[in-house]
This record gives sequence, structure tokens and C-alpha cells, in this order.
Amino acid sequence: MKGPRTFCSSPVIQGLVLLVVVLGYAANAFAQEATTIEDAQWFDTNKIWIFLAVLLYSATVVYCIYHARSGKELFIRRIPGLEAVDEAIGRATEMGRSIMYILGLGGVSNVATIASMNILSQVAQKTADYETPLRVPCNDPIVMNVVREMVRTAYLNEGRPDAYNEENIFFLTESQFAYAAGVDGMMVREEPAAVFLQGSFFAESLILAETGNSIGAIQIAGTDKEHQLPFFIAACDYTLIGEELYAASAYLSREPMLLGSLKGQDYGKVMIFGAIVIGVILELFGITWLTTFFQRVN
Amino acid sequence: MRRQVPLILCFAFGIVMALTEFSPHRFSQWLNKEVIDWTLVIGPFALVLAIATLIQTHWTRIRRRSEYWQYSFLVFIGMIVMVVIGIPLGQRHPVFVWLFRYVQVPMDATMFSLLAFFIASAAYRAFRARTLEATLLLAAALIVMIGNAPVGDLIWNTIIPFGDNLPSAARQWILDNPNLSARRGIILGISLGVISQSIRIILGIERSYLGGVEGD
Repeated sequence: MKGPRTFCSSPVIQGLVLLVVVLGYAANAFAQEATTIEDAQWFDTNKIWIFLAVLLYSATVVYCIYHARSGKELFIRRIPGLEAVDEAIGRATEMGRSIMYILGLGGVSNVATIASMNILSQVAQKTADYETPLRVPCNDPIVMNVVREMVRTAYLNEGRPDAYNEENIFFLTESQFAYAAGVDGMMVREEPAAVFLQGSFFAESLILAETGNSIGAIQIAGTDKEHQLPFFIAACDYTLIGEELYAASAYLSREPMLLGSLKGQDYGKVMIFGAIVIGVILELFGITWLTTFFQRVN
Repeated sequence: MRRQVPLILCFAFGIVMALTEFSPHRFSQWLNKEVIDWTLVIGPFALVLAIATLIQTHWTRIRRRSEYWQYSFLVFIGMIVMVVIGIPLGQRHPVFVWLFRYVQVPMDATMFSLLAFFIASAAYRAFRARTLEATLLLAAALIVMIGNAPVGDLIWNTIIPFGDNLPSAARQWILDNPNLSARRGIILGISLGVISQSIRIILGIERSYLGGVEGD
């Protein structure tokens, strides 16, 4: 029987213990390697304000997560791109065609790729339910292995391990434009009914999105690369802008603790908005200390 | 235990790596570099798995005579040629360099050049002035395009007697003010999202990447 999930449960405590061990080991290894330790600062005082801001924001997020555990219903604004996930999967199911999920060019250490994998996990649960083929061409071998494990578990959790086909999650190439060519070729040949473009995208973003558009697939895109957003907005049906990509897994799973962190994110935005408004008003009255402060922090 | 160990490692290394960003001390910089080097070790192992998958996928397609199975032959030909030349002769051998320079680079360039046509077709759809937003987008795009082309200023200065180089000045104003403000707003949102997601991962709340879905 599962107990209640808390973020202060044993992994965090054990993680703290490991943290001490790792630091101890590393200090020892460093002492052996370095003959002389330079008299350097342990803390970069130039980054003190950034550190405090990150700390304040992190504390807000953690507080909101705690608060969400109480079970109180949280209001989360509607995100059309995520509302359309069901529509896209339903359309593919009705048409008897596959769904293509593209994770972009980011490696497994890229936060946008992790966010994309979290969305994929939710999508895989639904495709397992509907028995819709899910095709995932990967650009990074580590990402491919993690994704295979994630999708397999998602199918297992839905009670459909038989529907999982490992061959549908495959490595294509690490080369940027060869990857774009490969995915475009598959899109044109297989004509998936829905295409998800979620993760880190670069110059290949529009090549992929326009090909998806040309085959009439419903496309849901999202990226952390703000330069690629206009391309996605022009070529895709729905686009997750900015932090919406990171909010997606919480939004789709509706798990209270994840939703709590979204609320924290919103409070962070309110703080920044407040600082901007106050800064503008002070500037209008010729008071410049706040803008000077932010310029120095930068 | 299968879940506990990755979560503990994730928490410990997540905190350590975050702290090293704020410490200029030689020890913390060394630690940061060392941990990043560890991650590089994982790459080659995963690459072996990936190549095995690639071979398996295309071999299966050829064996089953799936649709377009002929393309899989091309994958094998490309792979074998590069391996047979690259491994014994090295990456600096003229044949290997020739293959790279005159086969792979032109193919990459071909894909990249398609972007110009895709931009035109996407812009055509996006700039249809059906709504107020699309009309504003069209107007801004026209100003930026005219301002970007040197002939824009030339035509303006020849025809209009006032406002020297107005198109390029207007373009710069659009890029520096509305465009930059919107970009910064998006960047701020992304940054908050990244921190929030990192907190969820470090604290073990977000676990899907471990190979399971939320709630299990």
C-alpha cells in the first residue's frame, strides 16, 4: 500500500546525507589532486542578489507545493495548447493514423527535453488507452533509452503492455539537418494525424512544422527557444509559449503537488510584474535607484 | 529501491551543481567540471545502444519488406562506407574529408536552404490580415522588411522630403521596443519555469523521467 507522497520523505533526507558524502569525497579527491589551493572566495558576492532571488522564488514554490497538499482546489488558467492534446489524440484514433512525437535536439540534461518527456509520458498513457500508434524518432541516444523506459511504463500502468512497441521509439541521427530530413520523410510517407513538437528546437523548427502542416496533421508545439516561437505560431495549430512548456506535465496530470508548483510560478511572475510596475512609476518621478540596482545585479 | 536511489542521487547532485554556480572557488569549479565530465562518460554507452537500435530497425524493415524498405539500404551503405573509411584511415584522411565536405555538407546545406521557402509559405499564411492581431503582425513585418533592405531607405529618401532613413529607424524602434519587451517577457517566464521544474525534479515530485508516470 502506498503512503502519502511528500517531498520531505526519505529520498530528500537520504539525498542530504549523500550530499555530505559526495562533498567529503570530492574535497578529499581535490586535496589529493591540487597541491596548492588558491585563496579564492567560497561565495561570489557579485551574485548575492541573484542567489537571494532564486532562494525567495524557490521558497515560494515549495510553500505552494506544501499548501497544495492540503487538498484545497487551485485555480489554474486554461492553456489551449494543452486542452488540445486530447483532441489531437482523439483525431488520430478516429482516423486510424499514428501520432508523431518529436522531442527536439536537446540532450537529456536539457530542462526543456525533460519537460517534453514529461508531456510524452502523459500522451503515452492516452495512446495506450486508445491503442493509437505513437512514433518517437530520437536525436539523442540517451534520450531514446529514457523515452523507451518511460513509454513502456506508461503502457504498463494503463494495463496495456501488449500495445507497447519498442520499435516505434528509435534513434534516427545526431545530425541536425539529417534528423530534419528523416523526420520530414517519415511525415510525408506515414502521414501522422497529429504531430507534437515539444522540446529544444533550432533552425529545423520550421522545416518540421511546415512539413507537418503540409500533410494536414494537427500540430501542438512548444519550445524554450524564443527565436523559434514565431515559426511554430505561424505553422502549428497550438503553441505552448514560454513557461507553458514547463507547466504542461502538471496541467495534464492534475496532480495537486505539481499544480502547487504552478501556482508558485505564477506568484513569481506577480513579483516580477510588481517590480516592473514600481520601477516604471519611480522612473516617471525621476527616482532611479531601483533601475540602477537591477542594472548592477545584471 | 529502484526509485529511491535515482531520487537520492538527483537531489544530492542537483543541490551541489546549483551551489557551484554561486561559488568561484577552485574547488567548486573543479567539482562542477568533474561532474559534467562524468555525464560525458554515459554518452558512448548510449550511442552503442542507439546504433544497435538503428541497425535493428532498418534490418527489420528490409527483412519484412516494409513499405519503402529500399531506403534502409541507403542507411546501411552510408554507415558502412563512413565506418570502413573513417576507422582505419582516420577522420583527417582525404577520402573521409572529401565525403564529409562534398556529400554530407551539401546535403545539410540543401535541407537548410529549404528554410527560405518554408519561411515564405509560413509568412504568407501568418500575414493574412483576417484579425486585428494578424494585421498588426503584417504591418510590423512590412516595416521591418522594408527597413532591413537598404533600398527601402533609398526609395523613402528619394520620394518623401522629410524623415531621413525613416524605414530603418522605424525597424530599429520595433526591434528595440515592442519586440524586445515581448522577448524579455517570454524569457522571464521560461526562466521561472526552468527553476520551478528543477525544484520539482530535485525534490522528487516530478518523476516521469525516471521511467514511470505520476502517481505510481
